Amino acid sequence: MNRSSIMLVAGREFRQIAAMKSFWLTLLLVPIALALGPIVGQALDDDEATRVVVLDRSGGTARAAIVDRFEFEEDRYRLSALSRYVRRHGLEEADPQAPWAQHDRWYTAADVAAFRARGGMEAAIAALDAVKPEETASFEVPEPQYEFPEAPEALVSANDEQLDARVDALLDSEGDEEVATVVMIGRDYPADPTIRLWSNEQPSTGFVTVLQDVLTGDLRQRLLTGRGLSPQEAMAIQSAAPAIAVTTPPPGGGAREALLIRSIVPLALAYILMMSLMLSGSWMLQGSVEERSNKLLESLLACIRPEELMYGKLLGALAVGLSMILVWLGCAAVVAFATHGAIADMIRPALAPLTSPGIILAMIYFFLAGYIAISILFVAIGALADSMSEAQGYLMPVLLAILLPITLLLQAIVMGETGFLVQVLTWVPLWTPFAVLARLGAGIEMWEIVGAGVLLAGFVWLEIVFLGRLFRASLLSQGQKPGLKQLFERFRAAPE
Amino acid sequence: MPVLEVERLTKRFGEVLAVDDLSFAVQPGEIFGFLGGNGAGKTTTLRMVLDIIRPSAGRIAVFGSAPDKRNAAAIGFLPEERGLYGHMSAIDTIIYFARLKGMDAGEARDRGLELLERFDLSDRATAKISDMSKGMAQKVQLATALVNRPELLMLDEPFSGLDPVNQGLLEDEILRASKRGAAVIFSTHVMQHAERLCDRLLLLRKGHKRFEGTLDEARATLPARIIAVAPRSIAAVAGVGHAEPVEDLGAGWHEWAITLAPDAEVGEVLERCTSTGVPLRRFEERRANLHDVFVSLVGTAEVQP
Repeated sequence: MNRSSIMLVAGREFRQIAAMKSFWLTLLLVPIALALGPIVGQALDDDEATRVVVLDRSGGTARAAIVDRFEFEEDRYRLSALSRYVRRHGLEEADPQAPWAQHDRWYTAADVAAFRARGGMEAAIAALDAVKPEETASFEVPEPQYEFPEAPEALVSANDEQLDARVDALLDSEGDEEVATVVMIGRDYPADPTIRLWSNEQPSTGFVTVLQDVLTGDLRQRLLTGRGLSPQEAMAIQSAAPAIAVTTPPPGGGAREALLIRSIVPLALAYILMMSLMLSGSWMLQGSVEERSNKLLESLLACIRPEELMYGKLLGALAVGLSMILVWLGCAAVVAFATHGAIADMIRPALAPLTSPGIILAMIYFFLAGYIAISILFVAIGALADSMSEAQGYLMPVLLAILLPITLLLQAIVMGETGFLVQVLTWVPLWTPFAVLARLGAGIEMWEIVGAGVLLAGFVWLEIVFLGRLFRASLLSQGQKPGLKQLFERFRAAPE
Repeated sequence: MPVLEVERLTKRFGEVLAVDDLSFAVQPGEIFGFLGGNGAGKTTTLRMVLDIIRPSAGRIAVFGSAPDKRNAAAIGFLPEERGLYGHMSAIDTIIYFARLKGMDAGEARDRGLELLERFDLSDRATAKISDMSKGMAQKVQLATALVNRPELLMLDEPFSGLDPVNQGLLEDEILRASKRGAAVIFSTHVMQHAERLCDRLLLLRKGHKRFEGTLDEARATLPARIIAVAPRSIAAVAGVGHAEPVEDLGAGWHEWAITLAPDAEVGEVLERCTSTGVPLRRFEERRANLHDVFVSLVGTAEVQP
């Protein structure tokens, strides 16, 4: 085997692909698309609070109860988000007694009350800022979902005939005064418990559920006090609820968030492997088809062995794939630097798996072996096809067979599942690189890594032997469309 | 020592016998013509010499050893089906193939530019192959075969698709390589090129050797013919095997196509005509050409004028 010939072929393959416009477009489009994704997502995100006008004609406390309840839900949501932030960065020491340092339960009214009593969000952030490392990003307080402005005078003074027209006018208003929903509690409430609701759009289920819950509570409070119970007794009955303790032992749901973050890099590697393989594979195929259709092969085979040509093509494809990944990682590093460490801080927990040399070695091994295992298939297809359309005919079923299970696999890993599908895909060499890479973050037994790695190495060796025979036997069979029998014979054909 | 020696070479593709018990040798400086119709086994033989495919039986020695890619540095090959990478420039193409043959890049560039100059393509050295005419691309491909100054130059149907000017250029290159001491083998079914260039010839039919030798030896395989204008009495001259009247010229004169008897010499027959008083208005010896030999040995269906 002549190594310099292999390098020459690889260099030519690389230069040919690098000269393609589609290569540069892909190289630049992927980071641009990834950068634009969050920006577009943020732009599409409706982060403005929904304005709800509550017109309480009963003169009672229903409006106040609604506003209080929504404020409570907002606070509970903020408390949960704060708790996740504290847990992710291990900042419990800031105030171990604070509700946001307790991750073992579903927050109740008492927790929210304790949170407010300790100074609410401002006090929490001040306590956290005192202990958090400088490079750790600050907690971003979620914006409130709902606002409850006072009902405008025009609505308050409207009689029954004018009401619908004035509500319509209010809902049609734009700008800062825009109102999305109007809720009216009638004059005879609670004798007549009908609540009217106008909305520009279908009101969200969450909103209606909370609204109904508050008004139901209010109605029941009135009914209970009407039957002679003191307001305190009535409230005690109303607020009787079981305390739900939440226990999430790792690696279950409790640590799921942390494990998911640890899986970001391995999952991203699996995705990148898939993307770069698909792209460089199709370019390599174009090159192989060009060599066949331009009748170049005989000239090449007069100078080098078919095996050298095959290895050169594989090496060229690998170089293309790796250089794409290097550029993408470089872009990510530039972005991390440009954002003064904010993104770097976000991904720091994701880089935790990279602190183990064994895991790094496993990542490199499965990435490279996976690249070679799939690229050989493309090289073999290139040797069979005389035209790009013929190549597509072979390529489509191969791609489907590879990609479809991988899509399911990655979803399963994100969902934290390690069931039958994940096990099967771990041990079938065609999918092993993707399955092992994706599982490295969430946790995979060492014996599985070693076993799957050995099986993958054996598979690559078999591919080199049998697809190498197919490659050699197919190179000069131009214009002959092989049937299954011929393909089988070419697989069997020992190197001449 | 022969540059190339082939002994009892056989190649089967399944049931098809492509090359059948073929033996020949080519010496340094020799131009060796490989003649045969389509499917005669010429390309298959050349591919076996290049180690692209392996023989079913027999022995090949290139520079005294079995075919191996290590010999690529001393071999130049121009395939019948030609093509190059469209996106590469002429000079980069030549350098690429030269480096695959083990040359270093600097020397490959110098020789490549020298060849392009000789082929009147020096101003297109950096032009892409896809921007060149077919004739220009073929000259670039010829340069890829010659760049390493091969000791064994193998050309498979090199004249096909070339215009007369480029055919002349190719003939010059073949003669130049031969003068340099290279053994040149080229396959063709165009007889004129073989007649002009070859020191020795090999005629193949369906993989089997029908003749090997010099041009004169090839011609000698067919009896000489005489065209004569004479009276009927010429048919009785000793040494005349068969005399066939071609045209009646009147007044007892005919044009005759005469085939000599075995072992008869043209000069002796002429002498006997004179000594026996057979009057002659024309007596012309017409020796068999390679086309006739080819038709006789290989068959009319496989010959191209």
